Amino acid sequence: MSLTTALGIAQNALLTTARRTSIVSQNVTNASNPDYSRRSAVLSSDAPGVRVAEIRRAAAEGLFWQNLNASSSWEAQKQLLAGLDTLAISVNGADNAASPATALGRLQEALQLYATTPSSATVAEGALDAGRQFVRSLNNGSAQIQTFRTNMDVEIGIAVNDLNRLLADFEVANKSVIAARASGRDASDALDQREAILKQISDQIPVSTFSRANDDMVITTADGSTLFETRPRAVSFESTAAYAPGIAGKSVYIDGIPLSPGKNGAVSGRLASFVALRDEVATTLQTQLDEIARGAITAFAETDRTGGGAPPLAGLFTWAGGPALPPAATTSTGLASSISINPAFDSDAGGNPALLRDGGANGAAYVANPGGASYADLLIDYGDRLTAPIAFDPAAKLATNISVTEFSSASIGWIEASRQTAFNAELTTSALKIRTAEALSNETGVNIDVEMSLLLDLEHAYEASARLIRTVDQMMATLLETV
Amino acid sequence: MKVSYVSSQAISQALRHSLLRMQSELVSGQKEAQSGKVADVGLALGIRTGQAVSLARDVGRLQTIVDSNTLVASRLAATQDSLSRISEAGSTFLSALTAAISGDSDPATTRQAGRVMGEALTGIVNSSFNGEHLFAGVNTDVRPLADYRADPPSAAKTAFDAAFLAHFGFAQSDPAAVAIDGPAITAFLDGPAAAEFLGAGWETNWSNATDRGISTRISLNETVETSVSANIDGIRKLAMAAAIVDDLFSSALNEGALEAVAKTASHLVTEAMGDIAQVQAATGFTEQRIENASERLSMQVDIFNGFLNDMQGVDPFEAATRVNALITQIETSYALTARIQQLSLTRLLS
Repeated sequence: MSLTTALGIAQNALLTTARRTSIVSQNVTNASNPDYSRRSAVLSSDAPGVRVAEIRRAAAEGLFWQNLNASSSWEAQKQLLAGLDTLAISVNGADNAASPATALGRLQEALQLYATTPSSATVAEGALDAGRQFVRSLNNGSAQIQTFRTNMDVEIGIAVNDLNRLLADFEVANKSVIAARASGRDASDALDQREAILKQISDQIPVSTFSRANDDMVITTADGSTLFETRPRAVSFESTAAYAPGIAGKSVYIDGIPLSPGKNGAVSGRLASFVALRDEVATTLQTQLDEIARGAITAFAETDRTGGGAPPLAGLFTWAGGPALPPAATTSTGLASSISINPAFDSDAGGNPALLRDGGANGAAYVANPGGASYADLLIDYGDRLTAPIAFDPAAKLATNISVTEFSSASIGWIEASRQTAFNAELTTSALKIRTAEALSNETGVNIDVEMSLLLDLEHAYEASARLIRTVDQMMATLLETV
Repeated sequence: MKVSYVSSQAISQALRHSLLRMQSELVSGQKEAQSGKVADVGLALGIRTGQAVSLARDVGRLQTIVDSNTLVASRLAATQDSLSRISEAGSTFLSALTAAISGDSDPATTRQAGRVMGEALTGIVNSSFNGEHLFAGVNTDVRPLADYRADPPSAAKTAFDAAFLAHFGFAQSDPAAVAIDGPAITAFLDGPAAAEFLGAGWETNWSNATDRGISTRISLNETVETSVSANIDGIRKLAMAAAIVDDLFSSALNEGALEAVAKTASHLVTEAMGDIAQVQAATGFTEQRIENASERLSMQVDIFNGFLNDMQGVDPFEAATRVNALITQIETSYALTARIQQLSLTRLLS
């Protein structure tokens, strides 16, 4: 072995050290990048000396997928909770102060007060005003629900655009992975980028993948439609500009197949949660408000007092189809937005609030008061009817045979229960997401201290190789002097 | 020889999430300590929020009934007071009549007593409370009794005069009236005159009140009649006694006939006093019922409030302790984060 060989080995060592230093420096730079996977150099000794055989990228496939799924569910529950919060506060008000249930309670109180002093026009006006508040609460609640649905529709549109953009980005990243793999270059950077995009995609929609030759990745959604296969598949959605009760939202199509949002507890991905909020939560709440409106119209209906068999007609509260009553035991869609104070009662519209005491808004046959300013029986009767059980539509997802006042508070119970469920699910999924992210980071992340100590080693190795070169140099010099 | 790897990012993030959680708990803990109620009722109760809303509404409703019962009770108290005053006026009138029967008094005095009785009765029966006529039944916006002595003559007076004319063939003031004797006048009083007051004539000519009283809901499912009508027998009889004395003592009747009138009147007043005492007793029962109902409702309100508090309340001391514990924990967490951030090999390499 000649001195030249020793010099060659030392040179090789310097080269290797330089490459390893560059890896360390890349690791340190990306220490706080959550999408970065730690690289390490695999050395192989070959004559003469050593070289970097390959750059290995730390990976933990299982953890990565767990983290992806956790993140999908967490995004969904987070959006569900935020949506339910918005709905509950906009329909029922803070502490349920603006809810139909509270307004109905006020109306009961006003009726009781009116029944005690039926001759007082002021108190009659008070009862009418309580009725107005109730109508306002329902009209407003219904309008808020429809605004909410419109907003969710816009959110779905944004999410779909995001998804299409991400899929386009994914195509680029996937191509560079394939290219790197095919030519045997280091694919780490491309892989990092592709995983980062995959993470963002799975925030919008839960996915699963499989790989083909040269690490070509295919993405499918959890329910089996293809999102990406060589090329991105189209995710299409037609937004609806304005919602009204009874207008169904349009579906999101992935590769031509409609996306199903999944059941409440198992909603996963932002997109699905928006769809669930728009099509299930908001419409059920609308149905409940419609049923409350129907219950109130029915409770205040005027009946024929002459025994002539005329049908009961709308009293204090009427609706678009008045004066006939809405059909019993079934939802009349949009009733909560069309319910209004009967003009015959409304002092602002030239009506007479005392009809509440006397009856007869629908003609003489419906007059209940035989004459007398302090006739209270009808008012007491209205109060009783508000607490008497009637049949409700099972589509409202509440009890079907309770009083309208109980029904209105059950509606609050329903949305608060959904909020509680979403809140708890959000807690659990966020804990899972944080735990898996931590575990994943521990598997694939960078520890600066480790890198620094590695750097010290490299420094020493570099010094030793340099010393070697100097020694050989001295030996060569000595040799040349003697010659 | 990798034992277990920890990434720098995991170290720096580790405390952050738990810190966020603790801070949000701190906010709700603060709210709870201040208000004594759970920070977010909906999240704490879930489906039971509906029950809490129902309970709160029931409390409001019961409270309204208790309040309105107070109003009704004061109306009944005013009614009682009026009835006692009618009773008093009745006994004064009765002593005047007793004097008249024994022949000790001047007919003009007796007639005056009758007129005073009539006016007092009309005044008291027409009294109103809170804008409602007390004795009008449900017809509270109309004065229940018309003035007997009015100009032009009231319907009641005209009808009485007509009855007299029909019975005897001449008017009270006609000189021929002096010939009417006791039994004859008694027959008139018990017959056509009584029909004017105790029969159908009362509602046509005298009273605008309805028989039906005001019904009031005094508890969730208890309705009672809470007014006294001017159509009760006591008032009719007193009105009749007052009217016949007022009317016939100023006419041309002889002494025997006047004595018969006074006797009939005295008889009517005595009966009326008994009737009124009965009505007073009945009113007293109603007052008692209302009081009991209010008491029951108040107890229910207390119980409901207790339920509500059980559902939504938090122990403020417990909340305060929790807040303190959280503050300590958060402070520890801050200190720890600061120290962990210091923990770096880079600082030691130079």
